[in-house]
Amino acid sequence: MAGLIPNRHVSGEVLSAYLDGELQSGELDVVVDHLGGCQACIAEFHELKETRAWLRTLPELAVPDRVVRSVHYGPELSAFLDGELGLVEQREVTDHLAGCLYCREELQELDAARVAIRSLPRLEPPVLLEVAARRTGHTRRWRLVTVTAGVAAALIVALGVAASGPEQVADIDLDSFADRHVARASVEPGFAVIPAVGPTGATP
Amino acid sequence: MADDLVPSWEDVARLYGRKIYNFAYRLTGNPDDAADLVQEVLLRVRKGLAGYTPGSFEGWLWRITRNAFLDSVRKKKRRPESPLPDEDRWTMATSPSPDEVLASVRLSENVQAALLKLPMEFRESVVLCDVVGLSYEEIATAIDAPIGTVRSRIHRGRKLLREMLTWPV
Repeated sequence: MAGLIPNRHVSGEVLSAYLDGELQSGELDVVVDHLGGCQACIAEFHELKETRAWLRTLPELAVPDRVVRSVHYGPELSAFLDGELGLVEQREVTDHLAGCLYCREELQELDAARVAIRSLPRLEPPVLLEVAARRTGHTRRWRLVTVTAGVAAALIVALGVAASGPEQVADIDLDSFADRHVARASVEPGFAVIPAVGPTGATP
Repeated sequence: MADDLVPSWEDVARLYGRKIYNFAYRLTGNPDDAADLVQEVLLRVRKGLAGYTPGSFEGWLWRITRNAFLDSVRKKKRRPESPLPDEDRWTMATSPSPDEVLASVRLSENVQAALLKLPMEFRESVVLCDVVGLSYEEIATAIDAPIGTVRSRIHRGRKLLREMLTWPV
Protein backbone atom coordinates (compact mmCIF):
# COMPACT_ATOMS: atom_id res chain seq x y z
CA MET A 1 0.00 0.00 0.00
CA ALA A 2 2.09 2.84 -1.30
CA GLY A 3 1.82 6.05 0.68
CA LEU A 4 0.40 4.45 3.81
CA ILE A 5 2.86 4.40 6.70
CA PRO A 6 1.51 4.02 10.25
CA ASN A 7 1.37 7.33 12.15
CA ARG A 8 2.36 9.26 9.04
CA HIS A 9 0.26 11.49 6.87
CA VAL A 10 -1.50 9.98 3.90
CA SER A 11 0.34 10.70 0.68
CA GLY A 12 -1.24 13.01 -1.86
CA GLU A 13 -1.33 10.17 -4.37
CA VAL A 14 -3.48 8.07 -2.07
CA LEU A 15 -5.68 11.04 -1.24
CA SER A 16 -6.19 11.64 -4.95
CA ALA A 17 -7.16 8.02 -5.50
CA TYR A 18 -9.47 8.23 -2.48
CA LEU A 19 -11.09 11.28 -4.02
CA ASP A 20 -11.67 9.33 -7.23
CA GLY A 21 -13.12 6.34 -5.40
CA GLU A 22 -10.21 4.20 -6.57
CA LEU A 23 -8.99 2.77 -3.23
CA GLN A 24 -9.47 -0.85 -2.31
CA SER A 25 -11.02 -1.68 1.02
CA GLY A 26 -7.72 -2.09 2.96
CA GLU A 27 -6.36 1.30 1.93
CA LEU A 28 -9.76 2.87 2.17
CA ASP A 29 -10.19 1.98 5.84
CA VAL A 30 -6.78 3.37 6.76
CA VAL A 31 -7.38 6.63 4.91
CA VAL A 32 -10.82 7.13 6.37
CA ASP A 33 -9.46 6.52 9.89
CA HIS A 34 -6.59 8.91 9.31
CA LEU A 35 -8.71 11.66 7.82
CA GLY A 36 -10.91 11.48 10.89
CA GLY A 37 -8.19 13.10 13.00
CA CYS A 38 -5.63 14.79 10.73
CA GLN A 39 -6.32 18.40 9.84
CA ALA A 40 -3.28 18.61 7.55
CA CYS A 41 -4.48 15.69 5.42
CA ILE A 42 -8.03 16.98 5.43
CA ALA A 43 -6.71 20.34 4.14
CA GLU A 44 -4.73 18.62 1.41
CA PHE A 45 -7.72 16.50 0.52
CA HIS A 46 -9.84 19.65 0.09
CA GLU A 47 -7.19 21.25 -2.09
CA LEU A 48 -7.17 18.21 -4.32
CA LYS A 49 -10.94 18.21 -4.40
CA GLU A 50 -10.98 21.85 -5.43
CA THR A 51 -8.39 21.24 -8.16
CA ARG A 52 -10.38 18.36 -9.52
CA ALA A 53 -13.50 20.54 -9.47
CA TRP A 54 -11.67 23.15 -11.55
CA LEU A 55 -10.80 20.52 -14.10
CA ARG A 56 -14.32 19.27 -14.15
CA THR A 57 -15.73 22.74 -14.76
CA LEU A 58 -14.20 22.72 -18.19
CA PRO A 59 -17.22 22.99 -20.45
CA GLU A 60 -18.07 20.02 -22.56
CA LEU A 61 -17.64 21.05 -26.16
CA ALA A 62 -19.92 19.92 -28.92
CA VAL A 63 -18.29 18.24 -31.88
CA PRO A 64 -18.36 20.70 -34.80
CA ASP A 65 -20.95 19.76 -37.37
CA ARG A 66 -18.33 19.60 -40.12
CA VAL A 67 -16.59 16.83 -38.19
CA VAL A 68 -19.79 14.87 -37.80
CA ARG A 69 -20.49 15.18 -41.50
CA SER A 70 -16.99 14.36 -42.59
CA VAL A 71 -16.79 11.13 -40.65
CA HIS A 72 -19.87 9.88 -42.39
CA TYR A 73 -19.99 9.03 -46.06
CA GLY A 74 -20.45 12.04 -48.29
CA PRO A 75 -19.48 11.95 -51.95
CA GLU A 76 -19.54 8.16 -51.83
CA LEU A 77 -23.30 8.21 -51.34
CA SER A 78 -23.96 9.84 -54.71
CA ALA A 79 -21.61 7.42 -56.39
CA PHE A 80 -23.32 4.59 -54.48
CA LEU A 81 -26.71 5.70 -55.83
CA ASP A 82 -25.35 5.82 -59.35
CA GLY A 83 -23.74 2.40 -59.08
CA GLU A 84 -20.32 3.94 -59.60
CA LEU A 85 -18.50 2.52 -56.55
CA GLY A 86 -16.07 -0.34 -56.66
CA LEU A 87 -17.10 -3.60 -55.05
CA VAL A 88 -15.18 -3.05 -51.83
CA GLU A 89 -16.41 0.49 -51.37
CA GLN A 90 -19.92 -0.57 -52.24
CA ARG A 91 -19.84 -3.22 -49.53
CA GLU A 92 -18.41 -0.76 -47.01
CA VAL A 93 -21.10 1.79 -47.71
CA THR A 94 -23.82 -0.87 -47.60
CA ASP A 95 -22.58 -2.09 -44.22
CA HIS A 96 -22.33 1.44 -42.93
CA LEU A 97 -25.82 2.35 -44.14
CA ALA A 98 -27.27 -0.61 -42.26
CA GLY A 99 -26.26 0.95 -38.96
CA CYS A 100 -26.21 4.67 -39.66
CA LEU A 101 -29.44 6.60 -39.56
CA TYR A 102 -27.64 9.79 -40.50
CA CYS A 103 -26.29 8.38 -43.74
CA ARG A 104 -29.57 6.66 -44.56
CA GLU A 105 -31.33 10.00 -44.31
CA GLU A 106 -28.60 11.62 -46.38
CA LEU A 107 -28.99 8.90 -48.99
CA GLN A 108 -32.76 9.42 -49.11
CA GLU A 109 -32.29 13.14 -49.61
CA LEU A 110 -29.76 12.58 -52.36
CA ASP A 111 -32.04 10.07 -54.02
CA ALA A 112 -34.97 12.48 -53.83
CA ALA A 113 -32.83 15.21 -55.39
CA ARG A 114 -31.69 12.84 -58.12
CA VAL A 115 -35.27 11.79 -58.88
CA ALA A 116 -36.35 15.44 -58.94
CA ILE A 117 -33.59 16.32 -61.38
CA ARG A 118 -34.33 13.35 -63.59
CA SER A 119 -38.06 14.07 -63.64
CA LEU A 120 -37.56 17.54 -65.04
CA PRO A 121 -39.65 17.79 -68.24
CA ARG A 122 -37.81 17.75 -71.53
CA LEU A 123 -38.31 21.20 -72.94
CA GLU A 124 -39.26 21.84 -76.57
CA PRO A 125 -37.11 24.48 -78.20
CA PRO A 126 -38.72 27.88 -78.71
CA VAL A 127 -40.51 28.38 -82.06
CA LEU A 128 -37.89 30.76 -83.45
CA LEU A 129 -35.14 28.24 -82.79
CA GLU A 130 -37.19 25.54 -84.48
CA VAL A 131 -37.64 27.69 -87.57
CA ALA A 132 -33.94 28.42 -87.68
CA ALA A 133 -33.20 24.73 -87.34
CA ARG A 134 -35.56 23.90 -90.20
CA ARG A 135 -33.85 26.44 -92.39
CA THR A 136 -30.47 25.00 -91.57
CA GLY A 137 -31.75 21.48 -92.26
CA HIS A 138 -33.22 22.64 -95.59
CA THR A 139 -29.89 24.01 -96.75
CA ARG A 140 -28.05 20.90 -95.64
CA ARG A 141 -30.56 18.67 -97.44
CA TRP A 142 -30.08 20.58 -100.64
CA ARG A 143 -26.32 20.25 -100.35
CA LEU A 144 -26.71 16.54 -99.72
CA VAL A 145 -28.93 16.10 -102.76
CA THR A 146 -26.38 17.91 -104.88
CA VAL A 147 -23.51 15.76 -103.69
CA THR A 148 -25.53 12.57 -104.02
CA ALA A 149 -26.48 13.44 -107.57
CA GLY A 150 -22.83 14.04 -108.43
CA VAL A 151 -21.76 10.72 -106.94
CA ALA A 152 -24.57 8.85 -108.67
CA ALA A 153 -23.62 10.34 -112.01
CA ALA A 154 -20.00 9.39 -111.46
CA LEU A 155 -21.01 5.86 -110.63
CA ILE A 156 -23.18 5.53 -113.69
CA VAL A 157 -20.26 6.64 -115.83
CA ALA A 158 -17.90 4.27 -114.05
CA LEU A 159 -20.31 1.36 -114.53
CA GLY A 160 -20.63 2.20 -118.19
CA VAL A 161 -16.85 2.15 -118.55
CA ALA A 162 -16.59 -1.17 -116.73
CA ALA A 163 -19.34 -2.79 -118.78
CA SER A 164 -17.79 -1.73 -122.02
CA GLY A 165 -14.29 -2.91 -121.08
CA PRO A 166 -12.88 -6.40 -121.33
CA GLU A 167 -12.79 -6.97 -117.52
CA GLN A 168 -15.72 -6.96 -115.15
CA VAL A 169 -15.39 -5.08 -111.86
CA ALA A 170 -17.48 -7.50 -109.88
CA ASP A 171 -15.81 -7.36 -106.45
CA ILE A 172 -16.58 -3.78 -105.61
CA ASP A 173 -19.57 -3.18 -103.39
CA LEU A 174 -20.71 -0.08 -105.06
CA ASP A 175 -23.69 0.60 -102.86
CA SER A 176 -21.47 0.55 -99.80
CA PHE A 177 -18.89 2.66 -101.53
CA ALA A 178 -21.48 5.20 -102.58
CA ASP A 179 -22.95 5.30 -99.10
CA ARG A 180 -19.57 5.92 -97.55
CA HIS A 181 -18.75 8.53 -100.07
CA VAL A 182 -22.02 10.35 -99.61
CA ALA A 183 -21.73 10.14 -95.88
CA ARG A 184 -18.22 11.54 -95.93
CA ALA A 185 -19.16 14.28 -98.28
CA SER A 186 -22.07 15.27 -96.08
CA VAL A 187 -20.03 15.61 -92.89
CA GLU A 188 -16.73 16.97 -94.17
CA PRO A 189 -17.22 20.41 -95.64
CA GLY A 190 -13.83 20.34 -97.36
CA PHE A 191 -14.32 16.92 -98.94
CA ALA A 192 -14.91 17.43 -102.64
CA VAL A 193 -16.55 14.95 -104.91
CA ILE A 194 -14.34 14.38 -107.87
CA PRO A 195 -16.53 13.92 -110.87
CA ALA A 196 -15.84 10.82 -112.86
CA VAL A 197 -14.49 11.34 -116.33
CA GLY A 198 -16.11 9.48 -119.19
CA PRO A 199 -14.30 7.69 -121.99
CA THR A 200 -14.59 10.76 -124.12
CA GLY A 201 -13.20 13.04 -121.46
CA ALA A 202 -16.53 14.78 -120.95
CA THR A 203 -17.82 15.15 -117.48
CA PRO A 204 -21.28 13.75 -117.01
CA MET B 1 -21.20 -0.23 -22.78
CA ALA B 2 -21.43 -3.92 -21.88
CA ASP B 3 -18.19 -5.78 -22.48
CA ASP B 4 -19.82 -8.62 -24.42
CA LEU B 5 -21.32 -6.35 -27.06
CA VAL B 6 -19.71 -5.17 -30.26
CA PRO B 7 -21.11 -1.71 -30.89
CA SER B 8 -21.93 -0.51 -34.35
CA TRP B 9 -19.81 2.22 -35.83
CA GLU B 10 -22.77 4.54 -35.59
CA ASP B 11 -23.00 3.87 -31.84
CA VAL B 12 -19.34 4.70 -31.42
CA ALA B 13 -19.66 7.92 -33.41
CA ARG B 14 -22.78 8.95 -31.52
CA LEU B 15 -21.75 7.93 -28.02
CA TYR B 16 -18.05 8.71 -28.11
CA GLY B 17 -17.56 11.34 -30.79
CA ARG B 18 -18.01 14.16 -28.31
CA LYS B 19 -15.82 12.53 -25.67
CA ILE B 20 -13.03 11.99 -28.17
CA TYR B 21 -13.35 15.57 -29.35
CA ASN B 22 -13.18 16.92 -25.80
CA PHE B 23 -10.24 14.68 -24.97
CA ALA B 24 -8.37 15.89 -28.04
CA TYR B 25 -9.28 19.50 -27.52
CA ARG B 26 -8.17 19.53 -23.88
CA LEU B 27 -4.94 17.87 -24.83
CA THR B 28 -4.15 20.12 -27.76
CA GLY B 29 -6.10 23.32 -27.12
CA ASN B 30 -6.71 23.41 -30.83
CA PRO B 31 -10.16 22.82 -32.37
CA ASP B 32 -8.76 21.85 -35.77
CA ASP B 33 -6.42 19.27 -34.29
CA ALA B 34 -9.27 17.96 -32.16
CA ALA B 35 -11.55 17.69 -35.19
CA ASP B 36 -8.86 15.90 -37.16
CA LEU B 37 -8.36 13.47 -34.32
CA VAL B 38 -12.07 12.64 -34.11
CA GLN B 39 -12.10 11.89 -37.81
CA GLU B 40 -8.98 9.79 -37.60
CA VAL B 41 -10.18 7.83 -34.58
CA LEU B 42 -13.59 7.12 -36.07
CA LEU B 43 -12.00 5.97 -39.30
CA ARG B 44 -9.68 3.66 -37.37
CA VAL B 45 -12.64 2.39 -35.38
CA ARG B 46 -14.58 1.77 -38.58
CA LYS B 47 -11.74 -0.34 -39.89
CA GLY B 48 -11.02 -1.99 -36.57
CA LEU B 49 -14.54 -2.94 -35.53
CA ALA B 50 -14.60 -5.90 -37.89
CA GLY B 51 -11.69 -7.45 -36.02
CA TYR B 52 -12.73 -6.33 -32.56
CA THR B 53 -13.41 -9.12 -30.11
CA PRO B 54 -15.74 -8.26 -27.23
CA GLY B 55 -13.84 -7.15 -24.16
CA SER B 56 -13.03 -3.82 -22.61
CA PHE B 57 -14.47 -1.63 -25.30
CA GLU B 58 -13.53 1.59 -23.49
CA GLY B 59 -9.96 0.43 -23.16
CA TRP B 60 -9.84 -0.56 -26.83
CA LEU B 61 -11.36 2.70 -27.98
CA TRP B 62 -9.18 4.94 -25.85
CA ARG B 63 -6.08 3.07 -26.81
CA ILE B 64 -6.94 3.77 -30.45
CA THR B 65 -7.62 7.38 -29.54
CA ARG B 66 -4.35 7.78 -27.70
CA ASN B 67 -2.37 6.12 -30.47
CA ALA B 68 -4.02 8.34 -33.06
CA PHE B 69 -3.23 11.35 -30.93
CA LEU B 70 0.41 10.36 -30.47
CA ASP B 71 0.70 9.69 -34.21
CA SER B 72 -0.65 13.14 -34.98
CA VAL B 73 1.77 14.73 -32.50
CA ARG B 74 4.68 12.85 -34.05
CA LYS B 75 3.53 13.84 -37.50
CA LYS B 76 3.39 17.50 -36.66
CA LYS B 77 6.49 17.39 -34.48
CA ARG B 78 5.34 20.28 -32.42
CA ARG B 79 3.91 20.90 -29.02
CA PRO B 80 0.31 22.11 -29.10
CA GLU B 81 0.35 25.55 -27.64
CA SER B 82 -2.54 27.29 -29.38
CA PRO B 83 -4.50 29.86 -27.44
CA LEU B 84 -8.03 29.05 -26.42
CA PRO B 85 -10.26 29.89 -29.37
CA ASP B 86 -13.59 31.65 -29.29
CA GLU B 87 -15.28 28.37 -30.07
CA ASP B 88 -15.00 27.51 -26.39
CA ARG B 89 -17.46 30.26 -25.64
CA TRP B 90 -20.05 29.30 -28.18
CA THR B 91 -20.23 25.56 -28.08
CA MET B 92 -20.81 24.92 -24.40
CA ALA B 93 -23.33 22.18 -23.86
CA THR B 94 -25.39 24.23 -21.36
CA SER B 95 -26.46 27.88 -21.22
CA PRO B 96 -25.85 29.42 -17.78
CA SER B 97 -26.26 33.14 -16.92
CA PRO B 98 -23.91 35.71 -18.49
CA ASP B 99 -21.99 36.24 -15.21
CA GLU B 100 -21.57 32.52 -14.77
CA VAL B 101 -20.45 32.24 -18.35
CA LEU B 102 -17.81 34.94 -17.86
CA ALA B 103 -16.49 33.43 -14.65
CA SER B 104 -16.60 29.97 -16.10
CA VAL B 105 -14.87 31.02 -19.30
CA ARG B 106 -12.14 32.79 -17.35
CA LEU B 107 -11.60 29.72 -15.18
CA SER B 108 -11.80 27.45 -18.18
CA GLU B 109 -9.22 29.49 -20.02
CA ASN B 110 -6.88 29.36 -17.05
CA VAL B 111 -7.37 25.66 -16.51
CA GLN B 112 -6.93 24.94 -20.21
CA ALA B 113 -3.77 27.04 -20.34
CA ALA B 114 -2.41 25.23 -17.30
CA LEU B 115 -3.31 21.87 -18.79
CA LEU B 116 -1.31 22.64 -21.89
CA LYS B 117 1.74 23.32 -19.76
CA LEU B 118 1.61 19.93 -18.07
CA PRO B 119 4.00 17.27 -19.32
CA MET B 120 2.15 15.11 -21.80
CA GLU B 121 2.16 11.94 -19.69
CA PHE B 122 0.48 13.80 -16.80
CA ARG B 123 -1.82 15.72 -19.10
CA GLU B 124 -3.26 12.67 -20.82
CA SER B 125 -3.94 10.84 -17.57
CA VAL B 126 -5.59 13.89 -16.00
CA VAL B 127 -7.71 14.53 -19.08
CA LEU B 128 -8.75 10.89 -19.38
CA CYS B 129 -9.75 10.94 -15.72
CA ASP B 130 -11.31 14.36 -15.23
CA VAL B 131 -12.55 15.27 -18.70
CA VAL B 132 -13.38 11.91 -20.22
CA GLY B 133 -14.32 10.26 -16.92
CA LEU B 134 -12.46 6.97 -17.25
CA SER B 135 -11.61 4.79 -14.28
CA TYR B 136 -7.97 4.22 -13.37
CA GLU B 137 -8.20 0.73 -14.80
CA GLU B 138 -9.54 2.00 -18.12
CA ILE B 139 -6.82 4.63 -18.25
CA ALA B 140 -4.21 1.97 -17.52
CA THR B 141 -5.50 -0.04 -20.49
CA ALA B 142 -5.62 3.02 -22.71
CA ILE B 143 -2.10 4.19 -21.99
CA ASP B 144 -0.69 0.71 -21.50
CA ALA B 145 0.70 1.38 -18.03
CA PRO B 146 0.19 -0.13 -14.57
CA ILE B 147 -2.57 1.30 -12.40
CA GLY B 148 0.03 2.53 -9.92
CA THR B 149 1.57 4.66 -12.66
CA VAL B 150 -1.82 6.04 -13.59
CA ARG B 151 -2.53 6.93 -9.96
CA SER B 152 0.80 8.67 -9.63
CA ARG B 153 0.46 10.60 -12.88
CA ILE B 154 -3.04 11.80 -12.08
CA HIS B 155 -1.97 13.06 -8.70
CA ARG B 156 1.21 14.72 -9.91
CA GLY B 157 -0.67 16.27 -12.79
CA ARG B 158 -3.30 17.74 -10.51
CA LYS B 159 -0.68 19.03 -8.08
CA LEU B 160 1.24 20.76 -10.85
CA LEU B 161 -1.93 22.20 -12.25
CA ARG B 162 -2.92 23.55 -8.87
CA GLU B 163 0.47 25.18 -8.44
CA MET B 164 0.17 26.84 -11.83
CA LEU B 165 -3.31 28.10 -11.09
CA THR B 166 -2.53 29.22 -7.54
CA TRP B 167 0.85 30.78 -8.21
CA PRO B 168 0.80 31.66 -11.87
CA VAL B 169 4.21 32.44 -13.31
